[in-house]
Amino acid sequence: MTRQTPAWLLERDVALCPCGCIGKRRKGSFVEKTLTGTSSLLRQVMFSEDLAAQRGLLQRLDPRAKALGLLVLLVTAALLHHIPALLAMYAVTLVLAGASSLPLGFFLKRVWLFIPIFTGIVVLPATLSIVTHGDVVLTLWHWHGEPEGFTAPGLTSAGLIVTRVATSVSLVVLLTVTTPWVRLLAALRSLGVPRMFILVIGMAYRYIFLLLSAVTEMYEARKARTVGGQRHDRSAREFLGSSAGFLFGKANHLSEEVYEAMVSRGYRGDAQSIVTFRLRGLDVAYVLLTIVVALAIYGGDRLLGH
Amino acid sequence: MHIPDGYLSPSTCAAAYAVAVPFWYVASRRVKRVVKTRNVPFLAVLAALSFVIMMFNVPIPDGTSAHAVGGGLIAILLGPWAAVIAVSVALAFQALLFGDGGVLAFGANVVNMAIVLPFVAYGVYRLIAGRSPLTARRRVVAAAAAGYVGLNASALATAIELGIQPDLFHTAGGAPLYSPYHLSQAIPAMMFAHLTVAGFCEALLCGAVLAYLQRADVTRLALNHPGIPLTADDVVSRPRRLIGPGRAAVIGMAVLALLTPLGMLAPGTAFGEDAPEDLNLQELGLSAVPAGLARYSTFWDRAILGDYGFAGGEHPHLAYVLSAVIGILVVGVVIFGVGKLTQLAARRSGHDDEPHATESAALR
Repeated sequence: MTRQTPAWLLERDVALCPCGCIGKRRKGSFVEKTLTGTSSLLRQVMFSEDLAAQRGLLQRLDPRAKALGLLVLLVTAALLHHIPALLAMYAVTLVLAGASSLPLGFFLKRVWLFIPIFTGIVVLPATLSIVTHGDVVLTLWHWHGEPEGFTAPGLTSAGLIVTRVATSVSLVVLLTVTTPWVRLLAALRSLGVPRMFILVIGMAYRYIFLLLSAVTEMYEARKARTVGGQRHDRSAREFLGSSAGFLFGKANHLSEEVYEAMVSRGYRGDAQSIVTFRLRGLDVAYVLLTIVVALAIYGGDRLLGH
Repeated sequence: MHIPDGYLSPSTCAAAYAVAVPFWYVASRRVKRVVKTRNVPFLAVLAALSFVIMMFNVPIPDGTSAHAVGGGLIAILLGPWAAVIAVSVALAFQALLFGDGGVLAFGANVVNMAIVLPFVAYGVYRLIAGRSPLTARRRVVAAAAAGYVGLNASALATAIELGIQPDLFHTAGGAPLYSPYHLSQAIPAMMFAHLTVAGFCEALLCGAVLAYLQRADVTRLALNHPGIPLTADDVVSRPRRLIGPGRAAVIGMAVLALLTPLGMLAPGTAFGEDAPEDLNLQELGLSAVPAGLARYSTFWDRAILGDYGFAGGEHPHLAYVLSAVIGILVVGVVIFGVGKLTQLAARRSGHDDEPHATESAALR
């Protein structure tokens, strides 16, 4: 007895490999893209909450101290003028990630994937003499007898921006993956963000997931009842308008209900926080340490300039 | 369009925050005045909505899809001030939770996507939609145009912020410290992508949602359109006054301002306006420059924009226009301030017979 595998099962589908390296290259439809977008968002949020629950240096710190330290380092990184100084700052972020028991692979991937690599591609033309003038270090072609190619200032500039972007993204990732969202909000409040904004941000965070699940349901339902690929035609655009418009109606209705629920629980336009934070020696030491490190790197950067 | 940290200098970021903070302040005051204590749940759910709208992929005919920002849509549905807060909060989530857009650059992103985009989009929408009924086809066109123009205005603001970096901030060796592209490169690069693709995505989203709400639930639209008839049957005929007194005054002043440079065509000089040496003494029958004119013409020489130009004399045309705009703004603010003060004084002395502003002007 010969058993034949049906042809459709052997056909390689891009769904098996998101990079499209096998099978037929097909662009994902707007429905699939929206669905993967929402699910990867949920996955990222859950993973971050897991990391924030681990035991490590940054997880043990008071969120206010952490936010303050981040701000000091972030501003310093923005002020540096030399690549070695920026690399030193980047090394600091790696040390902090290690001390907070973040998986190195995850940390590097989360930081470098997309923004710094994208930056590298974007600034590539700026390394050429047609954009950034200066001494040509590597001649690629001649134009009216003048050598054209990579220039020294162009390469320096590209190096500066890529290391600066990577360092800044690392610093923000360090703060956000080691701090549960609620505690991060409390830190923002103590850094001077008005209470109304904190309340809005905190409640918005909760309702994002409710609205997202509504979006996922609508899009999954459309995917389920579509035979074949999604077409980007008039009905697709109408579906987009209907789903977004429906969401607007739902959000409006929801805000009324939430308000009534709040009033029935005694809300009168102001909210009290029941969590109080206490700064410990470790927190103060951390802030002082970041200031010392920031000053040292900034001083080194200044010395490099002479 | 989200600018990450590292593309902008710290001083640019600080300047952007300085622009954003007053907008946040005014927006929170205005929203609170209209929705009272329900401002927190109202704004929270709408900020969540604004975030979720940014997740939508807009289908484009050639099979690709792109993200919309949704700032224009929120402005049309709720008014630009509520949009300022809702989009700002959504941007804060993107910056803090997903690293999309920087923390130092947050102010700049807010200026581009939560201030420029909603206000420009709302202005275009009001301009095109006029007082047409809520179910009119014209409103769909207006919403689409609003999304397109708003997004492109926002992209232009982003391009300008990025484009001023290399000239202002570079190392001693001339290497740009932050974004390396000059205005002449940044603006075409940004605008090409937004004028051709992203603008249409935003237009599609705005138009499609408005069309849906017209079909499905027009009362949701009425929220931010006080006094606008629902359908063509509801239009009450009333004496049409095309241009009210306030608008006429503004239009008149604008025409005057635009015509002012015509004065440069006039021959001759105004009695030694630029320098006393310009006086044609013979024609005026004078034997010498009058002593007072000679002494006091150099009395004040510390003007910020002397001779309507920058100190170094570069960009003479730009500087001239800039001087004109600053002059108009300063005079306008002073007159507005004097008017407010007189109003206040009149109210103090109990002669206030001006009716108080009603809350009918929802979130506008």
